[in-house]
Amino acid sequence: MSDDQKDVVIAAYLFDDLAKKDFDAVLKLAEDKTITVEGVVLVQKDDEGEVHVTETGDHLGRKGAKLGGGVGLVVGLFAPPLLAATAVGAAAGAVTGRFAKHRLESGIAEKMDDALPPGSGGVITVYDSEGADSVDKALANAVKKSVAQIDGMSAKKLKAGLAEAQAGMGG
Amino acid sequence: MSDQAIDRSKLPIRRPPFQGVVNRTLDGSQPDWNFIAPIPAPKDAPNVLLVLTDDAGFGNPSTFGGPIRTPTLERLAEGGLKYNRFHTTALCSPTRAALMTGRNHHAVGFGMVGEFAGPFPGYSANLPKDCQPFPKTLQGNGYSTACFGKWHLTPDNMQGTPGPFDRWPNAVGFDYFWGFLGGESGQFDPVIIENNTAVGVPEDEDFYLPDAMADKTIEWIHGVRAHGSDKPWFAYFSTGASHAPHQVRHEWSDKYKGAFDKGWDKLREETFERQKQLGVIPADAELTPRSEAMPAWDSLDENHKRLYARQMEVYAGYCENADWNVGRVIDAIDEMGELENTLVIYIWGDNGASMEGTLTGTFNELTTLNGVPLTDEQQLQLVLKWGGLEAWGGDMMGPHYSAAWAWAGDCPFQWGKQVASHLGGTRDPMVVHWPEGFREQGGLRSQFTHVIDVGPTILEAVGLPQATHIDGIEQQPMHGTSFLYSLDDASAAERHTQQYFEILGNRGMYKDGWWLAWMMPRIPWNIDPETLKRFAPGVWDPENDPVELYYLPDDFTQARNVAEQHPEKVEELKKLFWEEADKYQVLPLLAGLTGFFGMVPPIPTQSTFTYYGDVQNVASGMIPRIYNHSYSISADLEIPQGGAEGVIVAEADHLGGFSLYVQDGKLKHTYSFCGVLEFRQESDRPLPAGSVNVRMEFAADAPKPATGGEVTLFVNDEPVGGGRIEHTVPARFSGYAGMDIGRDNGLPVERGYADKSPFAFTGRVKKVVFDVNPHLTEEDEQELHDHAQQALAGHAINA
Repeated sequence: MSDDQKDVVIAAYLFDDLAKKDFDAVLKLAEDKTITVEGVVLVQKDDEGEVHVTETGDHLGRKGAKLGGGVGLVVGLFAPPLLAATAVGAAAGAVTGRFAKHRLESGIAEKMDDALPPGSGGVITVYDSEGADSVDKALANAVKKSVAQIDGMSAKKLKAGLAEAQAGMGG
Repeated sequence: MSDQAIDRSKLPIRRPPFQGVVNRTLDGSQPDWNFIAPIPAPKDAPNVLLVLTDDAGFGNPSTFGGPIRTPTLERLAEGGLKYNRFHTTALCSPTRAALMTGRNHHAVGFGMVGEFAGPFPGYSANLPKDCQPFPKTLQGNGYSTACFGKWHLTPDNMQGTPGPFDRWPNAVGFDYFWGFLGGESGQFDPVIIENNTAVGVPEDEDFYLPDAMADKTIEWIHGVRAHGSDKPWFAYFSTGASHAPHQVRHEWSDKYKGAFDKGWDKLREETFERQKQLGVIPADAELTPRSEAMPAWDSLDENHKRLYARQMEVYAGYCENADWNVGRVIDAIDEMGELENTLVIYIWGDNGASMEGTLTGTFNELTTLNGVPLTDEQQLQLVLKWGGLEAWGGDMMGPHYSAAWAWAGDCPFQWGKQVASHLGGTRDPMVVHWPEGFREQGGLRSQFTHVIDVGPTILEAVGLPQATHIDGIEQQPMHGTSFLYSLDDASAAERHTQQYFEILGNRGMYKDGWWLAWMMPRIPWNIDPETLKRFAPGVWDPENDPVELYYLPDDFTQARNVAEQHPEKVEELKKLFWEEADKYQVLPLLAGLTGFFGMVPPIPTQSTFTYYGDVQNVASGMIPRIYNHSYSISADLEIPQGGAEGVIVAEADHLGGFSLYVQDGKLKHTYSFCGVLEFRQESDRPLPAGSVNVRMEFAADAPKPATGGEVTLFVNDEPVGGGRIEHTVPARFSGYAGMDIGRDNGLPVERGYADKSPFAFTGRVKKVVFDVNPHLTEEDEQELHDHAQQALAGHAINA
C-alpha cells in the first residue's frame, strides 16, 4: 500500500443501480491496478438517516465479506459506528473512537456528514490522490461528490488499529 | 311579472310595479305575491358547468391523442362535441379575464397577470366596471352562481382583509367562492379563501386541493337544489392543475411509471399519430420540428433521462386526477338527473403547456422567478436533498417539469405558454356537452373559436341578453361571438373570422384562415434583465421582428411558413394587427414589463408594519418588503414561568421563507433561500419569563439584489447571538404560502419543528413589528425599487 496522500470521496446517487454501476467501475480500477485504491463501499442511507453497507470491495478488486484494512478504512472514515457491524466485529470500541477522533480533527466529519442525504445511495472510496481523475470518471453517474483528504501516515495508523482490533489484540 | 315583462339587460333588475291594491287597512287591500318573488331565470334555462384547467397543452389529454388518460373529457366528448380550433390568449389571467368578460383581455386591463398592475389601461389588472363578467348577468337573472379553485383576477395588492373586495369573485357575479385568488397554489397546503375571507391552510393531513374542490362543488350543487328546486345554477370549476407546483399523490403518478422513458421526441411522434387516428387533426397535417432551444432526448445522460421521465409521470398523474375530479362532479349532476339539461363546457388549458420550468425543470419553481441560476448538476443535487425522485410531486418540492415536456404536450404545434404568436401557446382542446341542447354525439367542430366567445355562447344558450347596464354603469358590448350556431351544424361557416393575439410582445393576427405569427425573439423561459435589454424602449422595434405567415385551412399545425410567397398578405395582417392593438388597448407593447424599463411606481412610504395578536394568512404578495436590504423584526412577548415555545412569526415554508421562533427555551431564526440553502441562528441563552422583547436584525452587506448580511438576535435589547446569511431571496418567498403571527401554518419553514406544526406559540405574542426602512441613500433606494419592480414583473410572467 502506498504512503501517499489519499482522497476520500463520497459520491451520492439518485438511483441505486447507477451507484452500483459506478461502484463496479471503481472496483475495476482496483482490479486492473490502474490506480491504488484502498477500498470501496456501496451504501444506502435510509429515510431516517441510518447508513447500511450494501457491498464492499478491496484493493485488489475483490468483492465480499473478506474485509481488509482498506475497506475498514473507508467504512471507518465515513461512519465509524458501522465498523462494529462490518469490519471489526465486537472488538470495535477503541478503534471506532480513533476513527471518530480523526474525522473530527481532520475536518472530514464536517464534509462527510451531509454528503449523503437520507434516502440516497452512495459510493465511498479511498484511493491515492494521484488517481483522482480516474476515479472521477468512474463515478460518472454521481449527482454529487464530496472529497476530503487523509495523509498516508494517518491512514496507515488507522489501518493498523483496525488490524489489531480484528486480530483481537486491540479493543 | 311575466318573463316577457322583465328587462333582463339592465342589472340589477328593477323591482316590478306593485299590481295589488293598498287601502288604509287590509280591508279591501289586494296582495301581489309576484311583487316579492325572486327574479326567475328564463324558462327551462339549463345549468351551466364551466371547467377550465391550467397550463395544459393540446396534445396532453387522451381525448385529443395525448398520453394522459382523461376519461371524463372522453365521456363528455362521446356524448357531445370536440372543438379542435379553440383558442386562448396564451397566459393565465388574460385568458381568465377574457373568459369571464367575453371581451379581449387588454380591453379589460389584463394584457398581463393579476400579480402585476401596470400603469397603462390595457395592463391595469383592474377589471373595468363597464366590462362586468357574464356571471354577473346570470346572477342577476335568477341563477345561483359559484366559483371553485383558481381565480387570478384580483390584483396582488388587494388580497388582504382591508380589501377592496370589488374585484374578488363575490363582487363580480359569484354567490359563493371557494379557492385561491392568485395564479398558483400548493395542492397539499393551499391558503384557502372562502368568499371574502382567508380561512387558511387546511390541517387535515389527507387534504388534497383538487379532491376538495370537487367535494365543495358537489356540496354546493346539492345545497342549491335542496333549497331551490327549480333554480338553475352556474358553476365555474377552475382547477389549479396543471399549473406548478406539480403535486399529486403516488397513486396517480405511479400509474405512469415508465410511460415516458421513451422521451419527448418519441412521445410527440406517437401523440401525432394518435391525433390523426382520432381525427382531431387532419390526415395531411405535418408535425412541426423541435426548436433548437430544446435538447434531443437521445443527447441526455441517464440521470437526466430518468429525472425528466419522472417529471412527466407526475405531471400526467396530476392532470389525470384533475379530470377524475371533474368526473366526480359530472357523476353528481348525473345522479341528480340534471346532466341532460346541463351545458358543460370543458376547456383543457388556459394557455398552452408551460415552458417556465426552463430546460432542466426545477425542484422549486420559485428559483426561476427569483432568478436563482441553477445548473443541471445543482438541480439534481437539490432533488437529492429534498428526497430524491420519489419526492418529486410531493409536498417537499414545488416542482415544474422541463420546457421540452411542455413542447411535447403542445403537439403538434410550435412553442407553448406565453407565445401568443403560435398555436402551441394559444390552441387548447374544448369539449361541449348538452344532451338537451343539441343532437349530435361524438362530433368534431372546427370553426375558429376563442375564449372571448364562451360568455356570449352561454348567455345565448340560457336565453339571456348581454347586459347593457350593470349597477347603473353602461356596459361595453362583448367582443366575442357565440358559437351556439355550430352545435348543430358542423359545416356552418365560421362566424368568428378575425382575432388578434398578444402576450409579452408575441403577436398573432388571424383573419379568414390566415395567421400572421410575429414572435418577439425571446426564448420564453428567459426573463433575465440582460435578455430584456434587447427590448428596451428605443432599442426594440417590433416592426423588425421576423414574421411568419400560415394559411391554416391547408396547414393545420403552422408547419409551412408562406410569408415569402405572400408579402401582400403579410402587410395586410401587420396593418390589421396594429389597428386592433390600438382599438383594444394592446399598446404600448410590453407595458406589462415596465418594471424592467425604468417605469416604476412611486416608492412606498410606509416603513413599519405592525401586527397585533395572531394575524394569520397574510397573502404572500402582501408581506412587508424585506427583500434586498436591511430590516428588523421585533416582537413583544409574554413568556410564562417555565418558558414557552413556538413560532413568533413565519413566512412560507422550507422552499423559501423565514421563521423567528422559540425552541428549547432559545430564540431561533431560520432563513431558507429558496430551498437551496438554509441559514440558522440562535440565542446563546434561554429567554427569561415575563414581558420580553425579542428582535432579529438583518444588516445587509449592501442594498442590492440577493444581498448577504449579518443577523443579530436581541433579547431585551441585549445581543444574544447571530450569524450570517450568505444569500437572501431577492423577489418573493412563495407564490402562495402566507405569513402568520404566533404560528407557522402549512408547511413549516424549519423542518426541525415539523413534527409540531403549526408550532403555535405557547406564550403570548402581543405584537410583531417589521421595520423595513433601510436608511438608504436615495440612489440606492431607487435602485432597489427598480429591482423590486423587475422581480415583480418576472414573477408575473411565470404566474
